[in-house]
Amino acid sequence: MDWLEQELAKTLSRKEPAAGFDGRVRARMHRRPRWLAIAATILVMMGAGEAWRQHEGQLAKEQVMTAMRIAGSKLNRVQMQLKGTEQ
Amino acid sequence: MVFSVAWHFLHDRDLAEETAQDVFLSLHTHLAGIETPAHAGFWLRKVAVQRSIDAARKRRRRPQVALEDVAELSVRPVSGDPMLGGMLRRLIATLPEMARMAMILRYQEDLDPAEIAETMGIPLGTVKSHIQRSLALLREKLERRGVGER
Amino acid sequence: MRPMLTLALGAALAASLWAQQFKFNLDHLSSKASDSFDVSLNTSMLKFAAKFLDGKDPDEAKVKKLIVGIEGIYIKSFEFKQDGGYAPADLARVRNQLKPPEWSRIVGIKSGGESENIEVWVRNEKGRVTGVAILASEPRELTVCNLVGNIDLESLSDLGGHFGLPDIPKVKKK
Repeated sequence: MDWLEQELAKTLSRKEPAAGFDGRVRARMHRRPRWLAIAATILVMMGAGEAWRQHEGQLAKEQVMTAMRIAGSKLNRVQMQLKGTEQ
Repeated sequence: MVFSVAWHFLHDRDLAEETAQDVFLSLHTHLAGIETPAHAGFWLRKVAVQRSIDAARKRRRRPQVALEDVAELSVRPVSGDPMLGGMLRRLIATLPEMARMAMILRYQEDLDPAEIAETMGIPLGTVKSHIQRSLALLREKLERRGVGER
Repeated sequence: MRPMLTLALGAALAASLWAQQFKFNLDHLSSKASDSFDVSLNTSMLKFAAKFLDGKDPDEAKVKKLIVGIEGIYIKSFEFKQDGGYAPADLARVRNQLKPPEWSRIVGIKSGGESENIEVWVRNEKGRVTGVAILASEPRELTVCNLVGNIDLESLSDLGGHFGLPDIPKVKKK
């Protein structure tokens, strides 16, 4: 690269949008309630490798939380029944 | 990347953000067809190019000015000078649309001519021609104004 | 040769510890269910998920602490639009795998005129609880859970306090 091409690379270096850009994109997407698809879309902005890791991590987290809610709710039913029996 | 392509092409921050938002909304609609992160990156770049060019054509607020009409600076910037960056940006903004986009993809995204051709959907020879002519034109204008490498 | 054999056995034992401890054999219900939840989370997935649990959120913080001792979570849950979506034999096939001496049923309840059944089983190995099974059935819902790991009953009591649920009574260890 000669000096002009180097200057062009500097001049045309990537610029970031104003803060809150992803929030504004989400706001325009608000009619589409599938948050995972929205999260995945936003995360693509942040770079491929880390984005997919984050996306997979959020999926795994939601699965754990839902699993705990299901197991916890069944145990809670047992609890309620036992308390009722004791009385 | 998306915002940056739009910004360098349109030179209007608000319009660039609106264009970038449109691109991501499109991605959301087409998410099912995206197979890998690399595919997503390629798709985003291609759509960013298309939408930026569309936005410029709809705008047409600033007619393209011939390079000869760009006003001279009273102080001559030199290589590495931030004023040179500003002058280069103004000169690039006056390039014809397709040539301007080819230059942005070459020097912002560091794509080679074949990748630029694929992204813009134009022949490889046309891309090479755009870049060579644009560089020659920029060099000529800058040298005429006494701007160049020390 | 001996150290390698020990290593191989150790690896196999470790793998078996966090693998699902009994077969569900319930996949055939998916096509009949109006809604279903199916999760299989082994140790590495749980560790990965734990990194994304927010310590500042009360529920997530409790879950993050609880899953430290858990090496696997396996749940299948089905909802049906009508009664009879699953057969008694479907649950019997699961229950038949929970046999002594490893498995013991610690509590079972029936409610709603015996239409709702919940059984809680624990797996004991060398004096430690290494797994929990929950079998829950209603006329239009079937849920089977296997939580694998060194889960003590205090942890189960904590779980009862999550998500706004009241505590469950401690059960004496056998």
